[in-house]
Amino acid sequence: MAMRSQLYEWTGTALFTPDNQSSIFIGGTGNNITKPAETTATQFVVIEQVATTGTNPGGAAANSYSSTAANDGAQMYAQVRINTTDYFLDPDNKPNDGIPGTSSPYPRLLTMQPSFNLYPDVYVLPGQVWDVLVTQRGLSTAVTHMTLQAFVKYTLYDGPDALIANKLLELGISVSPANVDWYKRSLIQQQSSVVA
Amino acid sequence: MKNMAMRSQIYEWTNLAPNGTGFTLFRRSTDGTVALTAGTTTSVFIGGIGYNITKPAETTATQFVVIEDVACTPDGGTQLQNGGLAQIRINTTNYFQNPDVTQQDGIPGLAAPYPRGYQNILKTFDLYPDIYVLPGQVWDVQYTQGSQNLVLNTPADGVAVFIKYTLYDGPDALIANKLLELGITVNPNNVDWYKRTLIEQQSASMVGGV
Repeated sequence: MAMRSQLYEWTGTALFTPDNQSSIFIGGTGNNITKPAETTATQFVVIEQVATTGTNPGGAAANSYSSTAANDGAQMYAQVRINTTDYFLDPDNKPNDGIPGTSSPYPRLLTMQPSFNLYPDVYVLPGQVWDVLVTQRGLSTAVTHMTLQAFVKYTLYDGPDALIANKLLELGISVSPANVDWYKRSLIQQQSSVVA
Repeated sequence: MKNMAMRSQIYEWTNLAPNGTGFTLFRRSTDGTVALTAGTTTSVFIGGIGYNITKPAETTATQFVVIEDVACTPDGGTQLQNGGLAQIRINTTNYFQNPDVTQQDGIPGLAAPYPRGYQNILKTFDLYPDIYVLPGQVWDVQYTQGSQNLVLNTPADGVAVFIKYTLYDGPDALIANKLLELGITVNPNNVDWYKRTLIEQQSASMVGGV
């Protein structure tokens, strides 16, 4: 199992503070894990999908972005952080809140479908710490009428496949199961041609 | 960031600002809707309304941007669908034009809704081929409010524009330029294909040399 599809789902609680960025792994609200997410020297992680609770910018007050009504929506964002660097930046190079849940909703609904696809993927190299940080910009008090959630889908490359993933990165080729397989096939073909 | 030479990026504009006036560089949960008159056009980056950034969006000499998706709140003529249209501008040229080469307001939110599915409106328009912003160019997305006036501090009058783009930096921007020169679509797959071709050529010449 040297390449494994993995996922993590976070569900917040009413303790979640609006306007504060919080880790879905070790943020202290909702379900957490025991230590920060990190890769060992023989692991390589490719984050393929990040989604969070979706809200509509306007329309019906019961589910809108702005905060003047008592029953506003969540307006959630999810940022990916590698070590201390935020992945999503505004065009002026200033880190933003990340992917809006409105563009990458979790769960997906018929009335709230994704506009965003995380491609190219995000790489976590061996020895790096990674995190997904969620921010709620909707209701200025704790959200109690709806569930705040986030979802991460990633592929974990371990052992020899992590070495190949590093090699692909060195060659400037996207790390994906298909390209890892392609590299393996190339090695076998080279070996076969040498033997012949 | 040297290993992140192709990066998926997003930008979301909303007409939300503190007390419903002007613009903000930082989102806050207490922001309210800024009033916008029907037909008004504003830059989603530096228009002075809602969420803005500090300077116009531009590429450096070693950057190449591919705009892959632009969507906005639909204008269905009701308060539940009170959005507008989004136009893309490269330097001083608007991308979407009428067949008689006159100006238009761009992609209707009804064709590229944000979010998708709200009020059962699905996507009709797909931005393909993508739009390239070459090194050194300035780009912008201009939102035009549709038929409804947006009222100050009214939750139902929140509108948004969403932009998905890929930023190619450093060597990948050079490859993007090369692909453009060859007439090949610039996308992560083709950049990878070009790299693989280079590697295979190099390997073949090494084997031939031996």
